[in-house]
Amino acid sequence: MTDGHPVSSLSGRDRMLKYLAQAALWGTLTVLGLMVVFLLKETGLFQGLLPTRDLLRVGAPWSPLATPPSFGLGHAWVGSFLVTGISLALAVPLGIGIGIFAAELAPPAVARILQPALELLAGIPAVVYGFFGYVTFVKWYADWSGRPTGESLLAAGLVLAIMILPFIASTSAEALRTVYQDYREAALGLGVTEGCLFRRIVLIKALPGLAAAVALGLARALGETLAVLMLSGNTAAMPTGLLSRGQPLTALLLTELGETAAGTPKYRMLFSAACLLLLAVLALNLVILALKRRFLEHLHD
Amino acid sequence: MTRRRPLDFLFRGLVWAAGIIGMALPMWIVGFLVIRGAGKLSWSFLVDHPRGYPPGTEGGILPAMLGSAALILVGLVIAVPLGVGGGLYLAEFCPSKRLQSYARAGVEALAGVPSILYGLFGYACFVVFLRMGISLLAGGLVLGLVMLPILLITSQEAFAAVAAQFREATLSLGTDRASWIFWVLLPKARARILSGLVLAVGHAVGSAAPVLFTASVYFRKGGLHLDQPVMTLPTHLYFLVSEAISFDHAFATALVLVIGLSIFNGAAMVLRHQMRDS
Repeated sequence: MTDGHPVSSLSGRDRMLKYLAQAALWGTLTVLGLMVVFLLKETGLFQGLLPTRDLLRVGAPWSPLATPPSFGLGHAWVGSFLVTGISLALAVPLGIGIGIFAAELAPPAVARILQPALELLAGIPAVVYGFFGYVTFVKWYADWSGRPTGESLLAAGLVLAIMILPFIASTSAEALRTVYQDYREAALGLGVTEGCLFRRIVLIKALPGLAAAVALGLARALGETLAVLMLSGNTAAMPTGLLSRGQPLTALLLTELGETAAGTPKYRMLFSAACLLLLAVLALNLVILALKRRFLEHLHD
Repeated sequence: MTRRRPLDFLFRGLVWAAGIIGMALPMWIVGFLVIRGAGKLSWSFLVDHPRGYPPGTEGGILPAMLGSAALILVGLVIAVPLGVGGGLYLAEFCPSKRLQSYARAGVEALAGVPSILYGLFGYACFVVFLRMGISLLAGGLVLGLVMLPILLITSQEAFAAVAAQFREATLSLGTDRASWIFWVLLPKARARILSGLVLAVGHAVGSAAPVLFTASVYFRKGGLHLDQPVMTLPTHLYFLVSEAISFDHAFATALVLVIGLSIFNGAAMVLRHQMRDS
């Protein structure tokens, strides 16, 4: 940014402003870095107390009150996997479909409604989604099955799909729109049909962008807490199917943290799980960045 | 061609269906909340305290709204100077392209971190380690951290978007950087920064996971104090539902949250339109 503007010509006032801004940037980076370090510290990593064995014993039950206590997180990983899987299976095709619609087929008047509609969907808080799922899907399933309550991993996955839908839709719409803008005139001018243009050029060129959209949806789904907590049933048992109750990892963290004394083995276990979640999400974010970069670089190969 | 036409037709049909679902979903959700919740919404619901036994079965949600607002204010005290200042540094003063791209990548990666992890950090660091307890201060700091990456990114983009010719013109008049920043850059970038701020605040107001074990309690009497816990809108809704206290009040609370946030996000949209025009 400063290429053409020699920094040496700064006045005293300028220099003070520069240092203040610099302090703000470093302050931000320090605080955010401190967060990662602190989460790691609470796992006992720096005292050699990282509960590696408990983390690997995924087959063990989660029964922190038993003697000896058992801290198997297998049920939580399976719960997270199932809920995330359901939401992606629903939201990816639908979201990319909406992306194609917004980028290509939607008449301008419809696109003007679609855009704020998606923003509205993205702006609804998780706890409202949780409540909404509770009075619709969960209630319907309870009425239909005759059970007293109807929470299930499927209900959590359904609502999660709605929650990540706008992110997948708008990211893929953006990618598709970019490709269309660059290739449409040329391809149609050569006599290529619309369908062929889409299948042979647009879809392939937009692939990294679409993959970034999926990764973004996955990262969102993995970390979602409140809605998943309210709809999954929050039961610390290994799920037996999509309609069984479960406890995804984030739900477990939120449920257990309040009743865990700092520094205990259970506390270290919770923070270890949190750090694995953090690692997964950070890795996904790097993948998203790389995919976006790749998308832009290969746009005109 | 004749063989392909039905497929093209099917494809178009599917894509239209996806688009229609995309528009119908938010209408369904908001419509559902409005139909079930509007009847329970009243002026007294907004300005009264939770009453009845257990509290929340009657009365209103005033302390929850005040608590949410107070948390955001505390958070903004941290997030605005750090975020806008950091964005200014990256866009205006940063000497190396490499630092710029690494810092951006780091902040962007952290912007995607789930809010529950911010909550865990806040609990371990502010509540336990720094002995703030479950309090307005601890929760406000956590929400400040939640808002910080979004604010930094949007303000950097806002500053970078101010056209280069303004800078050339201003600096060629012999003014110093500070005057350029205060008299031209900041006013020009203001709308964009504000719209980023609105987005960040909207995101933070609605998130319950980070405040659930750093700031909020189910019910509390008395005013707002930095070292005391508060009630908040999203956690109030959460308690009403998870403890099955009052679904009527849950509908009304959810509606207040959604309407409030829609107004807020609508304001951001208007701001963005203003930017396009100017």
